[in-house]
Amino acid sequence: MLVIALCKGRFLEPSLDLLARSGIGFSEDVASSRKLIFDSEDKRHRVVLVKPADVPTYVEYGAADIGIAGRDVLLETRADVLQPLDLNFGHCKIAVAGPRGARSINGSDHPTVRVATKYPHITIDYYNARGIPVEIIPLSGSIELAPLIGLADRIVDVVETGRTLNDNGLEILEVIAESSARLLINRAGYQTKREEVRGLIEALGKVVV
Amino acid sequence: MKSYTQIPPGTQILIGRAARRRRVFERAICSVFEGWSYEEIIPPIFDYYDVFAKGWGQEEQIYRFIDREGNILALRPEFTSLVAKTVATRLASSAKPIRLYYSGEVLRFEKPKGGRQREFAQIGIEHYGGSGKSADVEILLIAVETFQRLGIPNFQINLGSVDFFGGIVDRMELPKEQIDALKEVLNIKDQPGLEALLQNLPLEDRRKKILRAVPHLTGGRAVIAEARSLVKNSRSVEALDHLEEIYSIFERLDLAQHLTIDLGEIRGFHYYTGILFRAYVHGLGFEVASGGRYDGLPAAFGEDVPAVGFSFSLDRLEQMVTPAMESSDADAAAIDVDSNFEKALQLRRSGKAVKLCL
Repeated sequence: MLVIALCKGRFLEPSLDLLARSGIGFSEDVASSRKLIFDSEDKRHRVVLVKPADVPTYVEYGAADIGIAGRDVLLETRADVLQPLDLNFGHCKIAVAGPRGARSINGSDHPTVRVATKYPHITIDYYNARGIPVEIIPLSGSIELAPLIGLADRIVDVVETGRTLNDNGLEILEVIAESSARLLINRAGYQTKREEVRGLIEALGKVVV
Repeated sequence: MKSYTQIPPGTQILIGRAARRRRVFERAICSVFEGWSYEEIIPPIFDYYDVFAKGWGQEEQIYRFIDREGNILALRPEFTSLVAKTVATRLASSAKPIRLYYSGEVLRFEKPKGGRQREFAQIGIEHYGGSGKSADVEILLIAVETFQRLGIPNFQINLGSVDFFGGIVDRMELPKEQIDALKEVLNIKDQPGLEALLQNLPLEDRRKKILRAVPHLTGGRAVIAEARSLVKNSRSVEALDHLEEIYSIFERLDLAQHLTIDLGEIRGFHYYTGILFRAYVHGLGFEVASGGRYDGLPAAFGEDVPAVGFSFSLDRLEQMVTPAMESSDADAAAIDVDSNFEKALQLRRSGKAVKLCL
């Protein structure tokens, strides 16, 4: 049996839809149930529902053989997993944003840039690569607020439409990476359950549009 | 003043049953190694930093410190560099082949994961002086017997070669950054990432086709045939010949079911020069053993001698509960002795376990 970790939240519907189109259906309504574990109708797959940021961890440790998560989460957790497919939904950008019209950081205004973010690792990697000293201000929501009330100079966050940024007088200053939903595979499981895992990768590869 | 109730992150303490279990595993594995005429080497727990920096390479993971004379020292992050250095220096004039095994703790500054902390137990073998397939097969057979001895039936050894991918890359004549970028996407079998890179690389379609195929070249004998249809360069072809010979030997020994040819795995310490393998156990999310050939390593310490070996991660193996190993828990029950020392000595002399009731 293959264990598949899916995120609760906005990724769940499109993930279940993809699974359904590759022949993995569930007799229960996974999306509306309070249960966290579901076996597929063919009893060959088991879906577990976890927090989006935890999907890479479940897969890296082999608690799940397979997972579906955004590339943003993967980059942030730095999980060592295989990533064979782009599932082509959940598109967004991971970007540095700041007050509209802000000058680029060149070191003269800010000896150290204060950046509010849910993505401390991505942020540190980004500024390290540019040699700009950075102070991470870890937040877990309403990141856009931080530059408005002087908590931070910049934010690093995922941006879908840019509307929230716009409404708060912020704009994208630089795109760090493009993100979308990815298929994750545990390294050991890819080897020890090769036929099943490859079968699923192929089936999903065919239905991804 | 700091409270010392907790031990530093990444260390652990084994007590009683857990310690017994560790020793049972260790002894079982050592007896396999000794059965193949490997002798134990007990190297120091620390050596000069340069030994590991030059040999092993992963500098950011090495615990280092400075002695009173100002030398930079390091706690051993692995055994292979230490053993290779010893073979290249103290054992330089010894008759080859040299077969050695080791067992002990190593320390790496890495994220604890998969039941392995920063301090963890490695147990493995090194074979020096054999360059051909015989030495490669010998160590693979020892790995197989180790799993069997531990009562783990569902294990799988994935065998590849750094020369297969090396030969492909040699021909492409790309700058190092582009090769690194390619390795990065191939390493996680990232198909869209690979396509994005290929769009901007000045490569013929034939070469792009090879790169697209590499991540999936995993399986039985058929994989070798598939790989042959893709490459022509001599380095890759020789690697395939070599793997095929090993695979054939395993087929003759009726052990091929444990061997998977894996040409899509391109990770590995920089010192590997030939075959490369990783062992997996069904039900565990991490590899439990890895090894390969590292002919250049002893030369880095002054003696050019071929070398091949592997190590098992005891901390991970122990997670596989095997009845064969658990039964030894039931040691002969100790006999309670009520402060009667004569009685206790008598029982001890007859080989009985005693427990004094004080």
